[in-house]
Amino acid sequence: MPEIFIDGKRYEFEEGEDRGLLQFILDNGKEVPFFCYHPSMSAPANCRQCYVKVGTPVKNRETGEYELDENGEREIRWFPKMQTSCTTQMQDGMVVHTQETSEEVARAQKDTMELILINHPLDCPICDQAGECPLQIQTYKYGPEGSRFEVKKQHKPKRIQLGPRVTLDAERCINCTRCVRFTDEISESHQLTIVARGDKNYPMAAPGREFDDPYSMNTVDICPVGALTSTDFRFKARVWEMNQTPSIDITNGKGTNIDLWTRDNLVMRITPRFNGEVNDHWMPDAGRDAYQRFNENRLSRPAIKLDGDNQSKTSWNNAIETFAETLESHGPEDVLVVGSPHASVEENYALMKVFNLWGVNNFKFAPHIEEGTGDGFLITDDQAPNTSGVKLLGYEESNDLASEVKNTKIVIMLSDELIDRGVLSKDDLKGKFSILLSTNECDTAKTADLVIPVTCIAEHAASYVNVEGRIQRSFPAKETKYTNRSLDLEMNQGRLDRFGTNFDNWVTEENKVDCAPAWEIMNQLANRMGLDVSFGRGREIMEEIAGSNPAFENVSYERMDNEMGINLNPSNKQEATA
Amino acid sequence: MASDWKSFEPVLIPDIPNLDKIDNYIKNGGYKALEKVVKENGWTPEKVVNEVKEANIRGRGGAGFNAGLKWSFMPKPDGGPRYLACNGDESEPGTFKDRKIFEYNPHLFIEGALIAAYAMQITTIYVYIRGEYYSWIKMMEKALQDARDKGFIGKNLFGTDFSVEFEVTGGAGAYICGEETSMLESLEGKRGYPRVKPPFPAQKGLWGRPTTINNIETLANVPGVINNGANWFKNIGAENHPGPVLYGISGHVNRPGVYELPSGVPVMDLINEVAQGVRGGKKLKALIPGGSSTPVLRADQLDGVSMDADSLREAGSMMGTAGMMVMDEDTDMVDVLWRISHFYHHESCGQCTPCREGTGWLEKILLKIKNGEGEIRDLDLLLDLTTQMEGRTICALADAAAWPVRHTINRFRDEFEARCKKSVHAVA
Ligand SMILES: Cc1cc2nc3c(=O)[nH]c(=O)nc-3n(C[C@H](O)[C@H](O)[C@H](O)COP(=O)(O)O)c2cc1C
Ligand code: SF4
Ligand code: SF4
Ligand code: SF4
Ligand code: FES
Repeated sequence: MPEIFIDGKRYEFEEGEDRGLLQFILDNGKEVPFFCYHPSMSAPANCRQCYVKVGTPVKNRETGEYELDENGEREIRWFPKMQTSCTTQMQDGMVVHTQETSEEVARAQKDTMELILINHPLDCPICDQAGECPLQIQTYKYGPEGSRFEVKKQHKPKRIQLGPRVTLDAERCINCTRCVRFTDEISESHQLTIVARGDKNYPMAAPGREFDDPYSMNTVDICPVGALTSTDFRFKARVWEMNQTPSIDITNGKGTNIDLWTRDNLVMRITPRFNGEVNDHWMPDAGRDAYQRFNENRLSRPAIKLDGDNQSKTSWNNAIETFAETLESHGPEDVLVVGSPHASVEENYALMKVFNLWGVNNFKFAPHIEEGTGDGFLITDDQAPNTSGVKLLGYEESNDLASEVKNTKIVIMLSDELIDRGVLSKDDLKGKFSILLSTNECDTAKTADLVIPVTCIAEHAASYVNVEGRIQRSFPAKETKYTNRSLDLEMNQGRLDRFGTNFDNWVTEENKVDCAPAWEIMNQLANRMGLDVSFGRGREIMEEIAGSNPAFENVSYERMDNEMGINLNPSNKQEATA
Repeated sequence: MASDWKSFEPVLIPDIPNLDKIDNYIKNGGYKALEKVVKENGWTPEKVVNEVKEANIRGRGGAGFNAGLKWSFMPKPDGGPRYLACNGDESEPGTFKDRKIFEYNPHLFIEGALIAAYAMQITTIYVYIRGEYYSWIKMMEKALQDARDKGFIGKNLFGTDFSVEFEVTGGAGAYICGEETSMLESLEGKRGYPRVKPPFPAQKGLWGRPTTINNIETLANVPGVINNGANWFKNIGAENHPGPVLYGISGHVNRPGVYELPSGVPVMDLINEVAQGVRGGKKLKALIPGGSSTPVLRADQLDGVSMDADSLREAGSMMGTAGMMVMDEDTDMVDVLWRISHFYHHESCGQCTPCREGTGWLEKILLKIKNGEGEIRDLDLLLDLTTQMEGRTICALADAAAWPVRHTINRFRDEFEARCKKSVHAVA
């Protein structure tokens, strides 16, 4: 196997390896500072930060053997100039010095840093990027102590609204062209280019055009400085005030891996999380807006219709009691359970199990597909995150839910805005007793006779099966009224030294929603009705599913976590529809 | 050799009126070399490459690389398109020679480019002319049309199966588009950002296909080599840098202009005899020999120096484009250097950090010194910055910006110090 020596240590690499020296160094847990390089895009080598010193061993032309010096060491021919490691291809026997073992390299990196910073506004205290800023980090680690720049900085435009979702501060731009390359190579909208020359240049959309690329906000993530900012998130929170929790995008069927950023029980923003099998480093802008659903317009405390069409809030006890009494005054054959592609595997499973035990056998769901909205990349025709999951659990797909409803007396619906999305009308539910377990205010919730608020993906650990049959899971990122952070081991605790104090990130009581996981509600209902059911947390429910449903064989939270999701039906892989 | 320049008969811009008219050009032996190589069996493409390599036409665009050797780097034809890109961007300050060819002898260049195309089995030639040369672009279009009408461009030249296309493209006012890979980007309709090398244009050039880039004057020398042989060419001028050269002499001389003479003419002959001496009888102070990026030489460094790569290297400078800028005793070197730095600051494409930021910083410090506000330590900072820029960028513009600063300060340090404020810092 070919070998390479980096800072005196020997490494092996695959023949024909083409990831480039910088990536190889990073993959081996070492560091070389860089800005313009991005593993998913071409390398323009324009920041000149990733310099290393490189040499190759001299071979004897006749014998093909390495030439040795007087100490018996291989003779090395050094490249006359330092090389940018991002564009250096590895060769067998190559010798590399990074800043750790070469003064010259450390000096060159410091020189570049000094130059990058001369025209930089250095307004970290008011810059959104501060705290997660590669420029800030590299400056601390590799930059010069002060600056010798005593002349006037170049001024450039600030607060430019590049498009509906992205705002540019051109002065902070270090011209790495990551944003431009993103629109050229990844989203292929070609909407950005660099305008002007030299130290006056910055990225721009064509005159009269907007940067409205449906993936525009990825440029905010990959911009190595605070030049591109999210118009929505700007100035809302400092990075270090937030907690970062892994989750899954629920706005379509792709199962894009994301992070939820929470502060004080509010989700402040959503960013993509790398998963090479699903979404690489990217996510659609639409998925980022979903954070509002987690904070606003939440159903909080159960509600019930007492007189005519007017709903009023009620206690949990009363809600469960009403639920049970309604069921008991009818028979199982009068009940239709509508599962949801918008809810998790565990929620759908819990509903099905309880009502099945009680004797119901009418389990339906309405797919939420909008033909033609997919783009073959990360946006799918499927508007729901778990269509495959509900199907695999045994809910029957129905394309005419209204007539199914006609033949029943009690309709139990899980997290699906069926009236809002036109699957049912208000009239369809007239004369029926309708029960909705859901997360957000909507017309469907207004119409239901009994509304029970359940946790959303930001509040529970649960799994979702994407359009390609990959099961992935969420973690709780915000507390409900009933979450105990120190007991819920799935939950990020934030800074322990602040736990329970006024400086904790979770102090405001109003930000906690009065809701419970659907399976806990099922526990209470089953208990009230004398059924032998007791669900644990999502993790245990998944164990139960894995043990009983062959489609989920061997699935567990451990595996999902270690393997970043599991493909359930590799043979029957269904591509996202274009 | 150095002194026989007076008897030299120009070959690039000979003293023949109306050579830009194609009939006149043909009457004077034009397109014979092209016909010869394309038609005669003995002139295989390899033979043309070897002849040109043997002649040692060193690139006239600034870097001085042997043209034939460059042509030999082209990979074997694979049936796909291959390109020749002719560099007529001519933007280095002090350089104004290629326009003479466009104006007075366009067909010589066209013929040279066509021979090059034959030698490298090229399918399309582009000539890239700076946008400011609007009339010359028009002249070139006319000349190409004339050549096409006569059957020298297009399908099946002289009834053989060699076909070639030839197009003109105008630049849009950026110096950087003269850098060869930036020119390729510009030809592709993109922003003129120089490319990272490798891959080199011979491997991946225009639209990812094999491409060779040559300067206009370089190509204009090719027909002569084919007509008269490599030895004829090698016997003109300096041994290591042979052939006729278009010297563009500007600045404080009595008769500025473009002069065609052999390479290796003594610098002082060019100033005093060809350009008829320093204006107003003033004393010579300095010379920038080959365009603004080449290091300035003081008058006392010019003794015995001639205009060829070896002699100029020994003297501490470079041949560049042979655009000689002559400065008299009244010249303010601080001003000169500031103006040069202003140019490179203005023209940096901004792609790489050391050049984007460094060129501006250089200029700003020089402006401060020029305004009498500089300090001695600023001079050392300037020198430091040149080392932070040189050799650390994608293209050579950063080097071109750094060299004048380093050499002008080192060679005229007194003048710079005199402009600085007396240091207020205590001496440790
Ligand atoms: C910043 C920069 C500007 C350049 N401008 C020109 C130019 O205007 N014309 C030119 O012929 N070569 C120019 N060159 C040199 C070209 O890159 C290239 O070396 C040349 O065109 C090759 O032709 P030659 O080998 O025939 O000289 C420039 C180089 C640099 C780095
Ligand atoms: S981009 Fe980074 S270094 Fe620049 S002001 Fe913002 S946080 Fe500070
Ligand atoms: S805006 Fe950001 S991503 Fe775009 S070029 Fe500037 S620094 Fe790079
Ligand atoms: S050296 Fe200057 S001109 Fe050349 S690519 Fe870099 S920034 Fe552009
Ligand atoms: S990462 Fe920017 S030059 Fe290598």
